[in-house]
Amino acid sequence: MTALDWAVVAAGVAAIAWVNWYFFVAGDRS
Amino acid sequence: MTAPHQAMPAKPTEVQHLDLPVGGMTCAACSAAVQKALTRQAGVADASVNLVLRSASVVFDPSVVTPERLVDAIRQTGYDAHLPLAGATAADEQQARDEETTREFRDLRLKAIVSAAAGVVAMVLSMPLMAGLDHGAHAETAVDPFMRWTMEQLTPILRRLLPALYEVDPRGISYALLVVTTVVVAWAGRHFYRRAWSAFRHHAANMNTLVAVGTGTAFLYSVAATLAPGFFLRHGVAPDVYYEAVIIIIALVLTGNMLEARARRQTSAALGKLIDLQPRTARVISENGEETEVLVEEVRSGDVVVVRPGERLPVDGSVVSGHSAVDESMLTGESLPVEKGPGDRVIGGTVNRMGAFRYRATTLGADSVLAHIVTLVRQAQSSRAPIQHLADRVSGIFVPVVMSMAIATFVVWFVSSEGGASVRAMAAAISVLIIACPCAMGLAVPTAVMVATGRAAELGLLIKGGEALQRAGEVTTVVLDKTGTVTEGRPVVTDLVLRPGASRDASEVLRLVASLESSSEHPLAEAVVRHAREQSVALRPVERFEAIAGRGAKGLVEGTEVLVGNDAFMADAGIDIAAVLPVAGELAAAGKTTMIAAVGGEALAVIAVADPLKPTAREAVERLTRLGVTVALVTGDNEWTARAIARQAGIDDVVAGVLPDGKVDEVRRRQKAGEVVAMVGDGINDAPALAQADIGMAVGTGTDIAVEAADVTLMRGDPGSVADAIALSRRTLRSMRQNLFWAFIYNVVGIPIAAGVLYPSHGILLSPILASAAMAFSSVSVVTNSLRLRRARLR
Repeated sequence: MTALDWAVVAAGVAAIAWVNWYFFVAGDRS
Repeated sequence: MTAPHQAMPAKPTEVQHLDLPVGGMTCAACSAAVQKALTRQAGVADASVNLVLRSASVVFDPSVVTPERLVDAIRQTGYDAHLPLAGATAADEQQARDEETTREFRDLRLKAIVSAAAGVVAMVLSMPLMAGLDHGAHAETAVDPFMRWTMEQLTPILRRLLPALYEVDPRGISYALLVVTTVVVAWAGRHFYRRAWSAFRHHAANMNTLVAVGTGTAFLYSVAATLAPGFFLRHGVAPDVYYEAVIIIIALVLTGNMLEARARRQTSAALGKLIDLQPRTARVISENGEETEVLVEEVRSGDVVVVRPGERLPVDGSVVSGHSAVDESMLTGESLPVEKGPGDRVIGGTVNRMGAFRYRATTLGADSVLAHIVTLVRQAQSSRAPIQHLADRVSGIFVPVVMSMAIATFVVWFVSSEGGASVRAMAAAISVLIIACPCAMGLAVPTAVMVATGRAAELGLLIKGGEALQRAGEVTTVVLDKTGTVTEGRPVVTDLVLRPGASRDASEVLRLVASLESSSEHPLAEAVVRHAREQSVALRPVERFEAIAGRGAKGLVEGTEVLVGNDAFMADAGIDIAAVLPVAGELAAAGKTTMIAAVGGEALAVIAVADPLKPTAREAVERLTRLGVTVALVTGDNEWTARAIARQAGIDDVVAGVLPDGKVDEVRRRQKAGEVVAMVGDGINDAPALAQADIGMAVGTGTDIAVEAADVTLMRGDPGSVADAIALSRRTLRSMRQNLFWAFIYNVVGIPIAAGVLYPSHGILLSPILASAAMAFSSVSVVTNSLRLRRARLR
């Protein structure tokens, strides 16, 4: 795995976390 | 209460109530978003948004928030709202709303038709592009065996049919498709993107989000593949385009929205009809005794109003002079007109059948009985649970999950591929998004609704939309109105009983009585004359005819004096009725209206008139009971008549002597007890109860207003259709569930394949094209399953 691969993995995990946070958590809180 | 509050008591705030028309809402998620935006506003005590009526009812403190601010709050969610027109009457407002709904329906219809036509053209144009896969250019990427097989089958056929299409440069076709799709996306599909964005801003995802994300990504990917195919080829990926999928998805979803708008238009038309019942003008007696025609709004309490035969009464009041029979079926459901004389109460909107009379106006405007009924219908419609689309509820969860999967797919492909990783990863992620597109999900319910409503029409049932169809299957109690629903709704002669030792026979008595009654316009007299004509009795001329309102009629027939009327009328004429009284009592106890016939000063017979049971009523009640549904009879008529009819129909549960509010309360009481209630009625008086019930079913032979307030119309006037409606609905519900299963199973199976789970072991990858084909297959299975409803057995 190259540094770019690691960066894509990290970005992907962050994106998935954000999507789920945005629709499931942030929506209920506001 | 806390100390600071005690020290400084808050001034009681004046709250205001405001109804705002809201446009552009298509689903439960839309109305929920508007409601959320309103309740978040400071100063708003309560807000409820009605999807069917397209209105938001807001209770707010005007010292904290202005109506303009509330309108802005709604507009910020992406929906349209405006302040109610100043000085507008209920009729004006209703008309404005009806016009808006009609405009929206026409707009959606045009967009759906144009998109569907564009979709068919795009599909044909796309075939040569897809065939390109099979012919070398990007063969290295065609690892999709299903795709290869499909193209092998279809290409020769299309080549024979449209050879010229294969002569055109594929890039030219791509550009042509790009133009067509851009137009469809920007014009027909624009609101999906706008509303998806609004939902996104409110942390929500709905059907619009799925459509927007699915078609949006497919469109952008296709644009990139069209403008820079070399980039894709260099990375070993075919520059496939999915324009046809984009257009067809938009066309199908628009069709669903159009069908919903049509259902909504019919619902709101009912309120307009109710408002139209009231005449616009009234003839008022001025101080100098002259009749002046004035606008109904200008009539003041205490004014004396004149009404002629056949006219509608403009306002409520009490009779000052004159006699008449007034058709109050809109209020009481009683099919016989009611006799009115001085001191009797009359109601605006009812029809004066016979003589002219004068009455003093009492309650006006918003306090009138008609206005009260309008309010009842409106409230009942507002209190009804908003349409809940399963697809919408599911997509709330589905969209974020699919997005997560697409991102995960991209990451895994990016990390595991060598060479062209980013483009391959992008193609796989897009496949996931496309196969997750809600095409079949959008079709699952509307197609079942379409086929079922078509089948229903064959059975004499008009069903307004999917919601009604769905609810009808869940019904546990059917509340039947009596007059016109279980009974024929018009009086017929049921008995002519001679007194013992009468000097004339029955046919002679009928001839004399019918001859006399042929000069009368009274509904009971009409029943007698109709009966005589059915018996081929020849009627004789009448001399010295005289009708006494509310009592009876007399005259000379064949030189003999004939009298027909009630016991008081006979007593006034000095006729002894002791011999016919027992029979009259028995017939009255059976719920019939009786008249005594006297010839030559002798009471000879009793004629009974009743509203008879419909021939199919008993079987209908039996079928409903077999379906596990509780049947109840609710009527404005008296207890005797109601019980007699219920006995004949086989109904045990009877509620008699109720007004429209009473019917609504009765329906509400049963709903509170956990029952899903279907109300079946025919009169305007039933309209509020029809709207309050979970399902309103109107007998089609009844008034237009009942028909339009209802969710289901029984065109044949046959109570047996109620059982048909429930059986068809249950069958449709099963089809809808199967359809949703099929729509989802393709996603459940297709998404992992699109993501590439079979690639390491079998080398199979789902190309985005096959992803859209799979989507089409799921649509086909859903449509086929829906079509089975056309032949479903219901009895």
